[in-house]
Amino acid sequence: MFFALIGILIGAVIGFLLPYTYNSAYSLYVSVAILACLDSVFGGIRANLEDNFSIEIFLSGFFGNSILAAFLAYIGDQLGVPLYYAAIITFGGRIFDNFAAIRRIWLRKRKSNK
Amino acid sequence: MKNNNPKIILAFFSILVGMLIASQIKLQVDLIVPVTIKSFEDTQNEINLINSEIIELNGIIKQKEEELQILENILVDDRNIEDILLEDLKYNMTISGRTTLEGPGIQIVMYDNMDTVIEGFDLNDYIIHDVDILNVINDLKIAGAEAISINDQRVISASEIKCGGPIIRINDRSIATPFVIKAIGDPKLLMASVNAPGTYGDTLRSVFAIGFEPEAKDKVVIPAYIGGFSYKYANSVEEGD
Repeated sequence: MFFALIGILIGAVIGFLLPYTYNSAYSLYVSVAILACLDSVFGGIRANLEDNFSIEIFLSGFFGNSILAAFLAYIGDQLGVPLYYAAIITFGGRIFDNFAAIRRIWLRKRKSNK
Repeated sequence: MKNNNPKIILAFFSILVGMLIASQIKLQVDLIVPVTIKSFEDTQNEINLINSEIIELNGIIKQKEEELQILENILVDDRNIEDILLEDLKYNMTISGRTTLEGPGIQIVMYDNMDTVIEGFDLNDYIIHDVDILNVINDLKIAGAEAISINDQRVISASEIKCGGPIIRINDRSIATPFVIKAIGDPKLLMASVNAPGTYGDTLRSVFAIGFEPEAKDKVVIPAYIGGFSYKYANSVEEGD
């Protein structure tokens, strides 16, 4: 949990320091992809806590979900239907689900440690 | 080591996510709002407005280009300039009331109350006043009269209608009853403007029993204004195009 937070902070610092940017026309797709990545990271943390973390599942989820989310947003743009809502709702909901699971595991561990 | 591995991977990808977030924040994009029907219609209205404005401006450009074309033609062969200036002169004379005009219109004959028995108290109610003429003429102008004359005195922009006791003065000339008002325009409209119930002319006739006889005519001849124009105080301001 904390290493992920620290990692995001470090990444943010690096990102601010690096001069690279992308075209702002893609910002919608990237923001949906970010959501998918965040969901994967939360899922990874949860799996790690549950001791069934698999690199293959994590990597495929991380890249596959983000690409699919960005692709959905793109297709939605082309069709004139805001399909990125699907990604936002799914991944947003899953982030909360994962966080709820993480919370439970973490609290239980603290209790058993006492 | 095996226990440590997922944490390192997670931390690494967290860094990746953090970098993405940071670059996204750096872009400072506006909030993406969903397109509602209302905002869609608003934008459409705006576009329509701008489009009609463009059409209007294009019309003005076309008009100016035509004017320019006429002026350029003058440059090419100089026998045209006389025609154009004469045309201009004719137009200006027409709008200043210097030409005799004819066309469809109406003729109104107005005379004082002819009753020999006087009912009521005020004799003034039985005669035509300058104000009566003014109101009738104003009604005609509202109905789109293009040229008006009273007893063959052309009504121009500077014409006065003044009370002179038993007579009325217009264009510095005295006229007396019966007053014959002629107007060129749409006869139906002009008739309606003075003859319909509730109009000033109808009130004169039905309430004050003043002679008021409007008549639609196919051809009305309105003489030219023969007086002079004098501009003592007014100076024209040069307008830069």
